[in-house]
Amino acid sequence: MTVALEDLLRELAPQVLGALVRRYGHFDTAEDAVQEALLAAAQQWPVEGVPDSPRGWLITVASRRLTDLLRREQARQQREDRVAQWALQGEPVADADDTLVLLFMCCHPSLSPASQIALTLRAVGGLTTTEIARAFLVPEATMTRRITRAKASVKDSGARFTLPADREERLGAVLKVVYLIFNEGYASTAGPSLQRVELAAEGIRLARMLHRLLPDNSEVTGLLALMLLTDARRPARTGPFGELVPMAEQDRSLWIPGLIREGVELITAALPRGPVGPYQLQAAIAAVHDEASSAEETDWAQIVALYEVLLQLTDNPMVALNHVVAVAMARGADAGLELLGTIEGDERIAKDHRLFAVRAHLLEMSGDVTGAKAAYEEAATRTTSLPQQRYLRARAGKL
Amino acid sequence: MKYMILTYASQQDYDGMAGKDTGKPAWKPEDFAAMGAFMEKFNNDLLESGELVETRGLAAPVHTRRLGSKDGVSVVTDGPYAETQEVLAGYWIVECESFDRATEIAARLGDTPAPEFVRATAYADVRPIVEGRDELVE
Repeated sequence: MTVALEDLLRELAPQVLGALVRRYGHFDTAEDAVQEALLAAAQQWPVEGVPDSPRGWLITVASRRLTDLLRREQARQQREDRVAQWALQGEPVADADDTLVLLFMCCHPSLSPASQIALTLRAVGGLTTTEIARAFLVPEATMTRRITRAKASVKDSGARFTLPADREERLGAVLKVVYLIFNEGYASTAGPSLQRVELAAEGIRLARMLHRLLPDNSEVTGLLALMLLTDARRPARTGPFGELVPMAEQDRSLWIPGLIREGVELITAALPRGPVGPYQLQAAIAAVHDEASSAEETDWAQIVALYEVLLQLTDNPMVALNHVVAVAMARGADAGLELLGTIEGDERIAKDHRLFAVRAHLLEMSGDVTGAKAAYEEAATRTTSLPQQRYLRARAGKL
Repeated sequence: MKYMILTYASQQDYDGMAGKDTGKPAWKPEDFAAMGAFMEKFNNDLLESGELVETRGLAAPVHTRRLGSKDGVSVVTDGPYAETQEVLAGYWIVECESFDRATEIAARLGDTPAPEFVRATAYADVRPIVEGRDELVE
């Protein structure tokens, strides 16, 4: 299958599923039917040519498949759902919002984040279970079970084809899932490879899709900008042996100017529109980094200020930790170490390798070689990522 | 998207509503009045939301003529249904955004006032209407 054809199918996947669920309900079974229709298209179109209306073709084939699957299910057991009361409890859905409704269904609060991610990648991203399992390095059977259970939960939760009433809150969950997909691709939590580009690309694709659906939502714009501005540094982020290269030491000529430009444009447009939110602030911080020609010439004072606004919005210990780094860069290692002392007691990061890595850096900056060596060692024993372990031990070794 | 909401009743149910003795509790005048008022409001709400395409009730099953053929000869059968067989009694065609919305509309019929023995077994079906021949042709 050509790349263009694959792109077309993946673009159409949520539209076809949306049309089916809107018309016939049965989110869980319809999702299987759409996957089968996509597979049929992938096999037939390269041979027989792309039909005049690819979307119409897929809807027709998926509808027939849905009919077959429902008949088989109903023959096996009468599908009887007990409902206290059938009500939509939401707003009417315009045709263009199908994909959005699907995202809300996939990121339903009754699901765990891992299930939300898997279901989103399959139902909205149009990836097969095999591809998702490979991306997350789990056996296919495990991923099949996860997706099947997730679909059953969505069905049992009584989710209807409608825009939920608590739309803003639910959108927060959707953004989080999309960002998790991107991050999973960006910093693998386990295993030898540091970056899994496909998941990062998938996160960006989903964020672009969301941005098209909700062009006036500043946080959606902020999330897309954040991803682009982060992804712009991808080529410089790892060395020739797959080792982690920290931002200060990255070859900035490798950064991708097109992504930086697009990200900066997006965040510049979103920020004045407001209301300001965590993704926009993180994107703004990433933009300040991306526009600096070196670590030293970075506008650290502005980054400190942005982190301080961000800290008012989120109680995230990682944000607090990044704030510490920015303060150290702006005002010196001692100011950073002093601030670090105020967050070390936070149980959420007290044992995290990143806290020890930051301490190690600050001690190194302040000239405390012995302290820095010990902190790098400590950090290395606390991370499961092999590239990060190698990086931290290498830093300790250089002192 | 168009959907059809169908309700069902047997000849026996029609007889009961008409005040005949069917061995079950009889409908009282206030039962009829309450049901009539409910249906009027139900239909008006659908008119106002712009979702009602059409609604009709059907005469008693006994007035049915079934056309078929037997041994190659055309046959007309009058009143082909058994007394207690539930057959189509009325329908609504609604045009709305989704199957779930059509189901929500139909679910309101569950609140139709009627004697308890009628309510206990009443049901409605919702079915998508085929928009074009393509949907049926394999």
